[in-house]
Amino acid sequence: MAEVVAAALTSHAPLVTGKPDVSKPEMRDRLYAGFRELQRRLAAARPDLVVMFVNDHLQNFPYSNMPAFCVGLADGYDAPSAGGATLMRLTPRRLDGRPAWGTALLEAGLAGGVIDFAYSYEMDPWDELAVPLSFLMPEATLPIVPVYTNCAAPPLPTMRRCHTMGGFVGSFIRTRPEHERIALVATGGISHWVGTPQTGRINSEWDHWVLDHIARADLEPLLSLTHDEIERDGGNGGQEIRNWMAVLGAVPGWKGEALAYEPVAEWITGCATVWVHP
Amino acid sequence: MMKVSYALNKVLTAVARRHLMKDRLTDDDIAGHAVSADERTALTSGDIGTLYELGANPYLIRRVFRSRFKI
Repeated sequence: MAEVVAAALTSHAPLVTGKPDVSKPEMRDRLYAGFRELQRRLAAARPDLVVMFVNDHLQNFPYSNMPAFCVGLADGYDAPSAGGATLMRLTPRRLDGRPAWGTALLEAGLAGGVIDFAYSYEMDPWDELAVPLSFLMPEATLPIVPVYTNCAAPPLPTMRRCHTMGGFVGSFIRTRPEHERIALVATGGISHWVGTPQTGRINSEWDHWVLDHIARADLEPLLSLTHDEIERDGGNGGQEIRNWMAVLGAVPGWKGEALAYEPVAEWITGCATVWVHP
Repeated sequence: MMKVSYALNKVLTAVARRHLMKDRLTDDDIAGHAVSADERTALTSGDIGTLYELGANPYLIRRVFRSRFKI
């Protein structure tokens, strides 16, 4: 039987790798250490496949066609592409996809009437994959299946719906007859304001509130958050914790151990790395 | 719920997909898009605050008008 062998939550921001020199060195070093510890634990769990819960930043989905949830069915994913590599100061590389696995997930969702995923055979990822995976998978040895959630173009699926979606993915994994070791990684958040009049603001108090609830697996206050409450306290970038809710939905009762949290003003993001365990 | 302007987001998406960063848009950039007079003024003056208020997506504002942001 397939099983979830690892789960992690991280932030993503292009400047984390793109401009490491502009941050306070001690903050950068603590965050990087958190990423490295996640990488160590992820490798020790020996997964065969990483399911990535991420979001588009209007790179892929236009306002003429905006899915709430979309499974990637591509053969591979640029993480980063040649264009993104310059900004993110990373080496361009392509990670293998697993379209057959993604298709099975898609079909199970449709058949069960629980989650009607959209799907895409070609994605143009940005920092949501490239930056965290540059730390977590420095060698492109594992295939990925991304599940994209609309966190950027309101109206958005509710936090509770994202948790339900993740719960469905978790159930799908645990009912697969194949012997598979699956890792789940969500990226995004915590608080940040991008492109709004408050661009650059970080609300570390709210970030700690989020992390504290995840540490106790006390999710109800998070799942009850409305779009407007998140926008007020966590900014438009804070909406990305929907990806975190999906992973937490897949592993009921698991608790999140924050390995690092740094409100890095120069990267305009409250940055965290969280290991999630039973 | 936040205001959404499809016209603004459509023109900003078109510019962003050409990997262009602008201080302000030109009439050529906007040609063929059904933006209102207020939207046109905000686009051609690079008024990022007004664009946000008029319903442009902030990620698109950031991508197109990156030079307008202090950070």
